Amino acid sequence: MNLIFTFIVAIFMMVADTLGTAYGDEWQGVQGAEQGNLIMQAMASNNLIFVVLGVSLIIWFVLIAYLFRLEKKLNDLEKKIPE
Amino acid sequence: MPKIHIWKYLLLLWMTVVLVAAFLIRVPDIPILHETSRNLFFHVPMWFTMTVVFGAGLVFSIRYLAGSNMRMDALAESATLIGILFGICGLLTGSLWARFTWGTWWTFAEPKMNLSAMAMMIYVAYFILRSAFDDPEKRAKVAAVYNVFAATTVPFLLYVVPRQLPSLHPGADGNPAFSDLTAPELRLVFYPAVIGFIGLAAWIIQLRYRYLMLRNRTEIETAN
Repeated sequence: MNLIFTFIVAIFMMVADTLGTAYGDEWQGVQGAEQGNLIMQAMASNNLIFVVLGVSLIIWFVLIAYLFRLEKKLNDLEKKIPE
Repeated sequence: MPKIHIWKYLLLLWMTVVLVAAFLIRVPDIPILHETSRNLFFHVPMWFTMTVVFGAGLVFSIRYLAGSNMRMDALAESATLIGILFGICGLLTGSLWARFTWGTWWTFAEPKMNLSAMAMMIYVAYFILRSAFDDPEKRAKVAAVYNVFAATTVPFLLYVVPRQLPSLHPGADGNPAFSDLTAPELRLVFYPAVIGFIGLAAWIIQLRYRYLMLRNRTEIETAN
């Protein structure tokens, strides 16, 4: 159990953005993104195409989650309302 | 009663892989197109899906006419609505793509653009026709007959006529689809994307169909 917890924390620390604060007083542009951890470096590479991929995946997952929710609601209604 | 079938989870996985591959595959740097050749994986499947879905709608309409089964009418209605949805996505994505490759959002010189918009209007008329009837049986019958007409125009408007006319659009006169224009490896993502979007359309059609059947059961009249 402890091992799993340690593993999860380790993964989180590898993935987490190491930017000091979530809020900044000024626009800092893209500077510093290349100095982040491996994930942040990868995201900042290739003319930022991975950012577009990330945006597309977010939209896709939100939409598909909604479809599954609708599916569940219809299942419930179909059970409740007799033929 | 239907549960969430395993194919819906497979579809989630399939389309996620397709999305990732669509962004990560190395595309050839073609003048004018550049990175937008990736649109092949999104824009073109919209039209493939629309054509397949309208084809399914035609089958449902014919089956309604053969047996007067109201379930077939609900299926035909759902398929047609989702077909229009995908068609609109095709028009919008095509327009955006055209802005950055042809230099215009819309041009009346482009047959494929205009004829596909015309096909959309023919299908919108299907719903206007439906709204004109209060009697469900009569509505179903007239709509089914109209759908047979509407579906027969699609191959001509989208595939036959545009290929006879000069056009900027790939797949038209003297302008091959993606055989010469782009690299053959794009097919590795393109065909899976087509299958994925068709699966997605099938799912949404099923959701709408089940909603319509529930509405019939409860006999609550709500707006479309």
